[in-house]
Amino acid sequence: MKKALLSLAVLLAFAGGAFAADTVKIGLMAPLTGKWANEGQEMKQVVDLLAERLNKAGGVLGKKVEVITEDDAGDPRQGALAAQRLSTQGVVGVVGTYGSSTSEATQNIYEENGIIQIVNASTAVRLSEKGLKFFFRSCPRDDEQGIVAAKTLLGKKYKKIALLHDNTSYAKGLGEEVKHELEKAGVKPVFFDALTPGEQDYSTILTKIKKANPDVVFFSGYYPEAGLMLRQKKEMGWNVPFVGGDATNNPDLIKSAGKDAADGYLLTSPPMPGDLPSAEAKAFMKAFKAKHGRIPGSIWSVLAGDGFMVLCEAVKGAGAADSKKMADYMKTKMKNFPGLTGKLSFDAKGDRKGDVYRVYKVDAKGDFVLVK
Amino acid sequence: MIGRIPKRFFVYGVLTALLVSAPLHLNNYWLDVLNNVGLYVILGLSLNLIVGHSGLFNLGHAAFYAMGAYTAAILNTLFHIPILMLIPASALTAGIFALIIVRPIIHLRGDYLCIVTIGVGEIVRIALINDIFGITGGANGIFGISRPILFGMKISKPDEFFWLIWIFVAITVFLFYRLEQSRFGRALNYLREDEVAAEGSGINTAYYKLAAFVLGAAWAGMAGTIYAAKMMTIAPESFNFWESVLMFTLIIMGGSGSIPGVILGAFLIIGLPELFREFKDARMLVFGIAMVAMMIFRTGGILPPRPRKYPIDHAQEGSVNP
Amino acid sequence: MEFFFQQLTNGLAVGGIYALIALGYTMVYGVLKLINFAHGDLFTMGAYLGLTVLASLGLHQHLGAFGGVVVLALMIMGLVGVVGILLDRAAYKPLRESPRLSAVVSALGASIFFQNALMLVYGARYQYYPKDILPKTVINILGMPVPLMRILILAVSILMMAGLQFFIQKTKTGTAIRAAAIDQAAARLMGINVDRVIMLVFFIGPALGGAAGLMVGLYYGQINFTMGWVYGLKAFTAAIMGGIGNIPGAMLGGILLGLIEAFGAAYISLAWKDAIAFLVLIVILIVRPTGLLGERVASKV
Repeated sequence: MKKALLSLAVLLAFAGGAFAADTVKIGLMAPLTGKWANEGQEMKQVVDLLAERLNKAGGVLGKKVEVITEDDAGDPRQGALAAQRLSTQGVVGVVGTYGSSTSEATQNIYEENGIIQIVNASTAVRLSEKGLKFFFRSCPRDDEQGIVAAKTLLGKKYKKIALLHDNTSYAKGLGEEVKHELEKAGVKPVFFDALTPGEQDYSTILTKIKKANPDVVFFSGYYPEAGLMLRQKKEMGWNVPFVGGDATNNPDLIKSAGKDAADGYLLTSPPMPGDLPSAEAKAFMKAFKAKHGRIPGSIWSVLAGDGFMVLCEAVKGAGAADSKKMADYMKTKMKNFPGLTGKLSFDAKGDRKGDVYRVYKVDAKGDFVLVK
Repeated sequence: MIGRIPKRFFVYGVLTALLVSAPLHLNNYWLDVLNNVGLYVILGLSLNLIVGHSGLFNLGHAAFYAMGAYTAAILNTLFHIPILMLIPASALTAGIFALIIVRPIIHLRGDYLCIVTIGVGEIVRIALINDIFGITGGANGIFGISRPILFGMKISKPDEFFWLIWIFVAITVFLFYRLEQSRFGRALNYLREDEVAAEGSGINTAYYKLAAFVLGAAWAGMAGTIYAAKMMTIAPESFNFWESVLMFTLIIMGGSGSIPGVILGAFLIIGLPELFREFKDARMLVFGIAMVAMMIFRTGGILPPRPRKYPIDHAQEGSVNP
Repeated sequence: MEFFFQQLTNGLAVGGIYALIALGYTMVYGVLKLINFAHGDLFTMGAYLGLTVLASLGLHQHLGAFGGVVVLALMIMGLVGVVGILLDRAAYKPLRESPRLSAVVSALGASIFFQNALMLVYGARYQYYPKDILPKTVINILGMPVPLMRILILAVSILMMAGLQFFIQKTKTGTAIRAAAIDQAAARLMGINVDRVIMLVFFIGPALGGAAGLMVGLYYGQINFTMGWVYGLKAFTAAIMGGIGNIPGAMLGGILLGLIEAFGAAYISLAWKDAIAFLVLIVILIVRPTGLLGERVASKV
């Protein structure tokens, strides 16, 4: 019983305590543990470095910016707790998170507490369709990508198209968007099913798709599975072209598949971190490399950085760390703010304006080359 | 019993008073942690009936939790029935599902039952992901669940949920305590300790095991309704194998078969990872060590059940010390 | 027919790996009646240690592909085996006399610990084996192309099972293990050092798991710190399917599970693959409550 008493005492001790408001507090909600830990840890590296640079340059409105990071473990329930925790720490805005279902579980908490949320990788369409005042995203939506992907497939004159997803919220959504767009153009996919992510051997699935004899396979899931499939497809001696979505945008795809097997792979994606053309981006990549020995692997972590910069800019634009004024500023006055991934503006729903998607091709050297 | 109140009841009283006054001195974050604790107390107690009292190795309890949550979410979003009114429907669905599923496997021994319950949990999760019957929303799950309304009051903030959840906990504790003391509870304990002897004494072991399982499942279904109301959106990933592991672990850690133990276990399993947030990405590592350490230092759980005592002057014919 | 045959080889290769991990589960269970939930993470550890040793020693450059892999495998088995013994000392030994479910929770805690320790040491990103170690030979069987490695994986699993079976059935130490599995107290009275037997079991089981991890790393090339969870669960399913505590049962269960998954995915539905596997397991257990080959350990009544 003493232990129960003790644990309750500790609980109480940790609680409460307002902080002095001499800094601007920005939250970062990221999956630091769990299956997306690699994404979350890189999000933190990017945002921390940006904050460090910003504070060296004098901060915003003469105040230092403080980043408060909480782990959501890529899980809705823990995400909701992280959101509650950030809400009690006086943050004006929160960057993140990665997974759509985790973001969804936190939306109402931020909305009710009047905190701006700017997600960096939650691309599910419905998130911004609820009329929330404080919700933004620095990433594009699935339906935009669906259109680009379907156009790419149709532009290559493929007739028999196999669609494969992995039954995650994101990949299934994208798969269905592509299917919808293809059917609108009169092309009915010859195959539509899901693999189980997190496994190693996908030859069963490849053998099954091969039986449908497609001209091309579109896979809307993530790079670990895509890499394994490219490799196992080559091992089987099957030469069908593969096209993928933006979750395969990661240099690790080449490491997983091997250069020979990845050669010719096409994917739709926002630009890669190394391909960002702006001077801001180039300078940042250099600083990141100096600190961590490599540039960020994932565009999503860079988009978290953009979310952070947008929030800081909004504090400046609104003249105060006031979330209501900041949200107004972001929706009405912020025009073409130069972020790392390009110019940022937001529409009335909080979605990022403009056409972000590009088509990439993997060349024989294992590099991602911009096609258009 | 009469005249002397055991010391522990004072401790319980103080703790209850602390808990009731929590909304006065805790911020929203810690209140929400307490709400999560409360939810897992309900889940833990429901599983305790199966694991702790009847000794059935169930590592798939999340399946019944999911059944309840989905029943409430589907009926609420399709027919706009207030979510709290759906608690009985959730209990019924989860209970009937348990009855159908568990009936043929109830005779399986220990670890075989364990893998089958894991299997049931996984089958339910996969069915939900694959949008079975076209009503579960696939991997997206169901969103737009309405906030609960109680006596005309809309419940949305952590301090409002605090009352909803912890009053439910109080009711659960009271009912399960009564159940523990009843003939039914004693029969369950008997068959946990020695199934053959219990059968020999005329206890219909299959019936009691099944009844415990169904009741536990139904209760988890009710907890699912509260979870759905609290989150306003549910997805299959919230009911994965890890959830079942959490519920199982909190029981064993706290003290299998003991109500105070299960409550303490819920505090530990939900509270510790929150306290360990200071360790950032090492917090689950520390949690893993804590799990092993706690089992080693208190092998029977921290607050194991107290042996049943039957005061001599109240003893009735046939009641024997177990 | 070719489709069927292809899926058969796919299922056998995956099943071979399940079987190898299941052997470790079954060994430990047979003697201690303990489900070692951290076994899957020892498998992951084998894969990670293999990568480290490979990168730092460059064995295959000095000893050639075959010799390099064999030496590497022996080293990894030794290392993971030692980790297994340490795991037993730290997390299970203090719980020998306590309720069985307490040890299960300790095992789950150890599993969380290993997963996160690997994440902190190696980073959360996926790790990749070099691609040029194993031959990419494809051989023809009845006119159908089958990658050589798929056959080798199965062959290695069967070989290890046969070796283990021989060791358990024909050697003196094996007899001691069997005796300890049946009745530890009686075995002690017969002069068997039961603690040594348990130590041995906790060396062999994890060593086999580590070997499987290395094999997965070498063949599939891509590893991450959470993969042991899925493989561990599958292998546990396989061990139960065959009858836990029974060595040929683990082998049979593993291969059967691989085949059920392959054919379930091929002829029924990809997305429902795992659900189909569990459904078959449940049906098997309803018909044969102690698995296909039954449990060869005395059950406490």
